[in-house]
Amino acid sequence: MSALRLISNRTSQQALSNSDYTWEYEYYEYGPVSFEGLKAHKYSIVIGFWVGLAVFVIFMFFVLTLLTKTGAPHQDTAEPSEKRFRMNSFVADFGRPLESERVFSRQIAEESRSLFHFCINEVEHLDKAKQSQKGPGLESNTHFQEVPRSSGIFEEDLNCLTKFNIPNFVNTEQNSSLGEDDLLISEPPIILESKSVIQSSHRILD
Amino acid sequence: ENISDFSLNVTDCTQVVVPEEVFFTVAAAGILENLLVLVAVIRNKNLHLPMYFFICSLAISDMLGSLYKTLENIFIILCKMGYLTRRGDFEKKLDDAMDSMFILSLLGSIFSLLAIAADRYITIFYALRYHNIMTLRRALVILAIIWTFCAGSSIAIALFSYEAATVIPFTILFPLMMFFILCLYVHMFLLARSHAKKIASLPTSTVHQRTNMKGAITLTIFLGVFLCCWAPFVLHILLARFCPHNPYCACYMSIFHVNGTLIMCNAIIDPMIFAFRSPELRSTFKKMFCCAR
Repeated sequence: MSALRLISNRTSQQALSNSDYTWEYEYYEYGPVSFEGLKAHKYSIVIGFWVGLAVFVIFMFFVLTLLTKTGAPHQDTAEPSEKRFRMNSFVADFGRPLESERVFSRQIAEESRSLFHFCINEVEHLDKAKQSQKGPGLESNTHFQEVPRSSGIFEEDLNCLTKFNIPNFVNTEQNSSLGEDDLLISEPPIILESKSVIQSSHRILD
Repeated sequence: ENISDFSLNVTDCTQVVVPEEVFFTVAAAGILENLLVLVAVIRNKNLHLPMYFFICSLAISDMLGSLYKTLENIFIILCKMGYLTRRGDFEKKLDDAMDSMFILSLLGSIFSLLAIAADRYITIFYALRYHNIMTLRRALVILAIIWTFCAGSSIAIALFSYEAATVIPFTILFPLMMFFILCLYVHMFLLARSHAKKIASLPTSTVHQRTNMKGAITLTIFLGVFLCCWAPFVLHILLARFCPHNPYCACYMSIFHVNGTLIMCNAIIDPMIFAFRSPELRSTFKKMFCCAR
């Protein structure tokens, strides 16, 4: 690692290095390396290494991109595209998972800190999304436009509250590998419940 | 400068020399940036969190790497000017100390990245119990253990580096750690994807694929930067150990200074991709500079 010393005065060092074998001086002694009869280009290791590294990084990028393709079912063009869910920004940005939650930390019990934060932000964003939906009815969202704001919040509160159903989270904690499956299996019936609430509120309003 | 050079083949791979000004600029930038990160975390009480302590650990190891290069350059300039002899005992000890500093920096970087990845993993998979699992005291204990281990290994490697037995574990450690960090992040990614799917299943949600691309880009940048900056040097060590007289290996080893500069570039890039992504840290910087003016 002290290669710069060897640039000057190579012969004297060669004479000394035989008797004084120390690793730091011996390291970058090229000595009489002959370059005769090279079959491949002399920088082949350099080129091969960098090409291999670049291929590996690009391959890793494609693998990660494939992993993140979610195939969203409801992509509505009238939705404001600037507003993104906090969950997505958490998902995408590994840089700041918890420090922005300190605002809530003193008010909320510690156990429910991070997920409650997700819910709060989901509710906020959904409210803002609904407020900006002034256009004509969209196929999947028509019934939500007709629902007044209060019951919309009620439905989202239900969704949030169901996430705090402790048994679900106990399962997630213990078996993280099965956690997602547990949540996926247990959530749909709860969502159906809230949808039935909305339908009943529809009937009440109509 | 001596006759033996002319006896070698004209297609000899000459050392690719990086100008000293470039070296010093890059090293100084790395040291300053990481020092800034350290000062910001120390000054702001809100940043006394395990996550930021691990980022500080990364900043310290980057600083050590750049410091090593700077000191080595100064040392060589002093040698050229004649103030220090090349064969003295003191210089040899100094050289050993500097090399162990460099290995300490490399090991510290690897373990800090591992600690950051593990911390994020616990944040996501054990979110409800995170603050019980990763207390401040535990984080400091973990850091103390990491740095003691790195210091011990670096001194051992520096003292016994002429044996093949030290080079091999050193070079195996590097890809093993990278692979483990990659596995942690991929698992986090899979969970993030399933979370995003669940949100997409809500009736009024829209999932923008661009935000998910951003996660893939971020992760590729983390690992790609570390690989591209450190792997050339690790390969150099391997080649210098096992085939120093092979012409192909010698040609690879002629770009040693470029590899060293890459390591210093890593010290500049790391704060940008870890520390500066946090808004709290950025606002601390702004306050520091505004108060300084």
